[in-house]
Amino acid sequence: MKKVLEGNHAVSYGAKAANVQVIAAYPITPQTQIVEKLSEMCASGELNAKFIKVESEHSAMAAVVGSSGAGARSFTATSSQGLLLMHEMLHWAVGARLPIVLANVNRSVGPPWNIWTDQNDSLSQRDTGMLQFYCESNQEVHDTVLHAFRVSEEVMLPSMVILDAFFLSHTCEIVDVVSPEDGARYLPPYRPDLYLNPALPHAFGNLTGPDNYFELRYKIYEANVRALDVVRKAHEEFERMFGRAYGAVERYHSDGADMVLVTSGTLTSTARYTVDMMRDKGRSIGLVKMRLFRPFPIEEVRAALAGAKKIVVIDRNIGFSIGGIFTQEIRAALWNTGARTPVFGFIAGIGGRDVTPETIAEIVERADALDEPGEEAYWIGVKDERLHSARR
Amino acid sequence: MSENKKIFKDQRDMPLAAVSEGDMLWNKSGSWRNVRPYYDNKTSPCIAGCTAGEDIQGYIALAKQGRYEEAVRLIWQRNPFPAICGRVCYHPCMSNCARKDYDEALFIPAIERFLGDFAIENRLGEDAPAARQPHAVAVIGGGPSGLTCAYFLAKRGYRVTIFEKRDKLGGVLRYGIPDYRLPKRVLDAELERLLGLGIEARTGAAIGSGLAIEQLGGYAAYFLGLGLQRSRTLDIAGEDAEGVMPGLEYLASVNDGAGMEIGKKVVVIGGGNTAMDVARCALRAGSEVTVLYRRTENEMPAIRDEVREAKEEGVQFRFLAAPAEIVKQRGRLREIKCQEMELGEPDESGRRKPVPKPGAVFTVKADTMLVAAGELPDTKIFEPLVDVKYGLIVADDFGRTSNKRFYAGGDIVTGAATVVDAVARGRSAADLIHAELTGGVFKPGEQKKVVSIADLNTAYFIHRMRAKMPRNGEARRSFDEVNRGLSEARLREELGRCFSCGVCNACDNCWVFCPDVAISRENGVYSINYDHCKGCLICVEEFPRASLSTEKEGK
Repeated sequence: MKKVLEGNHAVSYGAKAANVQVIAAYPITPQTQIVEKLSEMCASGELNAKFIKVESEHSAMAAVVGSSGAGARSFTATSSQGLLLMHEMLHWAVGARLPIVLANVNRSVGPPWNIWTDQNDSLSQRDTGMLQFYCESNQEVHDTVLHAFRVSEEVMLPSMVILDAFFLSHTCEIVDVVSPEDGARYLPPYRPDLYLNPALPHAFGNLTGPDNYFELRYKIYEANVRALDVVRKAHEEFERMFGRAYGAVERYHSDGADMVLVTSGTLTSTARYTVDMMRDKGRSIGLVKMRLFRPFPIEEVRAALAGAKKIVVIDRNIGFSIGGIFTQEIRAALWNTGARTPVFGFIAGIGGRDVTPETIAEIVERADALDEPGEEAYWIGVKDERLHSARR
Repeated sequence: MSENKKIFKDQRDMPLAAVSEGDMLWNKSGSWRNVRPYYDNKTSPCIAGCTAGEDIQGYIALAKQGRYEEAVRLIWQRNPFPAICGRVCYHPCMSNCARKDYDEALFIPAIERFLGDFAIENRLGEDAPAARQPHAVAVIGGGPSGLTCAYFLAKRGYRVTIFEKRDKLGGVLRYGIPDYRLPKRVLDAELERLLGLGIEARTGAAIGSGLAIEQLGGYAAYFLGLGLQRSRTLDIAGEDAEGVMPGLEYLASVNDGAGMEIGKKVVVIGGGNTAMDVARCALRAGSEVTVLYRRTENEMPAIRDEVREAKEEGVQFRFLAAPAEIVKQRGRLREIKCQEMELGEPDESGRRKPVPKPGAVFTVKADTMLVAAGELPDTKIFEPLVDVKYGLIVADDFGRTSNKRFYAGGDIVTGAATVVDAVARGRSAADLIHAELTGGVFKPGEQKKVVSIADLNTAYFIHRMRAKMPRNGEARRSFDEVNRGLSEARLREELGRCFSCGVCNACDNCWVFCPDVAISRENGVYSINYDHCKGCLICVEEFPRASLSTEKEGK
């Protein structure tokens, strides 16, 4: 059934399609409508789930750690500072192997206060072991909530479904909504082997020394690697059932293109448009969209970028001193292949600044002018008179 | 734990996450506990403050549920006169109320009065005594202590005879306290209920004048509760003048309905409750009244409310003034020469002693002077029977005198005290008499820890001011009762203000907050499952009224 939904409500309907049983969340701009809608659904009986009100994001995540541990399909949503407050509990959810799905609306981190989008909040969770999906449209957001539960419950790791503040969260699009019945066909009931059972109580997460801790971490690593395969199969089944195709990475005219842009989130749509414009003028340029960030789809990235002469990564985030985080990951993924394709890292759109087709064109123009990257990160659009005069 | 540890040779044999191999039923979270909470009702400060030891928190809890009859019967267990004490008591309960340190003390006397009046309106009677005792007891004096002693003995099945020298029972309640504070119908109604227990009242039977105490044979015990009979004189020149009268006599005549003649200008000497009653009666008789008191208002022993009401009604006060000489004209009072005083060092009562200010003398014109500067006992006739010191019978707090068969209480033991003190001593003596006549052991009740505001979690209480006592605006010129009592609606609001200090009132906070679900609730009674209570004490912290206590484990 098609509905006109803002991205936040697309998340809510995704959770409904996944037949979630417990929701605990704390409101934060720009995530609030996700939980508003879910609480309405719970109150009206439209969704048969427990809605737990909490006093902070840390508690929200702790609550779903508990409910997921008790064997209930559990969902939460947050953004920015809220996600940072959850950080400890994200590690906990991973270590306890709990398939919680969390929707994070990408919002810049303070100070200074800023409610607009960039990716540093979610990318700061890079090494928790949590899966991360970056979405480009409301439809993708909606589908990915359901998809993430499927993957999470198979590999027993939590997932983060990520959408850009305002560009998706508060913007309406037509969304083909998956019904809970269809959702149940795609996502079977969650039946963990181990769960909190008052009748037969076990101790969970108890002290584990150097003799066993190492192996338990190895199993998380292994599950992350295995998740790549699970993601692919779940994508295939999703396409069979719902007719919408997704991949860990999406290649857009990238095969055989001399220059390949690499993007994530809504910025991808702008880049796609710019690539079309340039290709119309006969330029050999393509695009690779990173949908899956964790686990990092190394093989797919290598394959998608194998023929490129220049790789241009546009990051809406910053690893201070070393450059964009996607840039680093892609460089690292390519190094052992022996390929020495130059990888240009561009920083754009941080703090919610618009990335327009002109911005993308400027990036392409600057990459054109360089044979090798002279800097780890080229900041696009920094207000600095010296930069402008030098370029002229 | 470590002895049973499983050794894994292959990570594939390991569970996904750290988990105990066996169940943990053996490891109750209660084993973490090093401090244990337990339910432990304590003493509310109001109860600790009440001289008669009424279960104030208890009767308020019952009244809150609309169970007025049970509430008033609970009062009767400690005090037979709630309708009277609700009106005339100086309410130390209320001065002790924890709520006074939060907003305003609970209006306990108004609640007690409501319940006492409820019993009167609904003609609630006493239950017949469960057992009959073989002994008879004589009570000398039909004032509050004698009546109370008689009441608690009669309830236990003793045959009791009260000997009262006046025509009617009541003592100070009838002859000392005027109608506008305590209507006779209220007194009579409570006396009627009391006499309904089968107490014999011999009025007009003054011991000592024709009726020697030795002649009262056949009694196993005697309770002496005679009160104070005489007004203290001032010992100043001209005190014998016509127009100078003892305040007590004046009050008795007013209360009798006779009403002694007084003049236009009346001066009252004294600062106690008798002085206030005398002044307000004289005002109602149409006189201009001035009270002379030798100290300042701060040192007045009268109940604050009585002083305030006297002022509101128009009684004039002149403080730091003592009569020095009566100036007569043809044997009649004409004016009073007065000495101006100032406050010196504190005396044994802790109040600053008034000393004459040299040369400061003034004169007050007066037609009548009513002396209410204290009352004196009349104990001469008892001197052969019991120890008497400073004119008072020597007795301990429970009424024990030097003579095994004689017990005593009330003002004749304490000197001028209060109605509630007389009630308390009357009841204690009855308890002691019963214990000694039945060969039982007399054990005064023990008091648990008294709760104060610091013990309460006031975060759970809402600020709300005390109910106002509705007043009869016309009463200042008549003997109609001044205070009209609370309506039931106002009463219920006031009951709602009670903190229930130290006593569980089934608020559920402990039950709601326990993070281990270790507290269970059945029929409003809570219990703690110590298998699961890990001693976090959140229940104690979140409990508003301090009726949970803690103790160290393994003590």
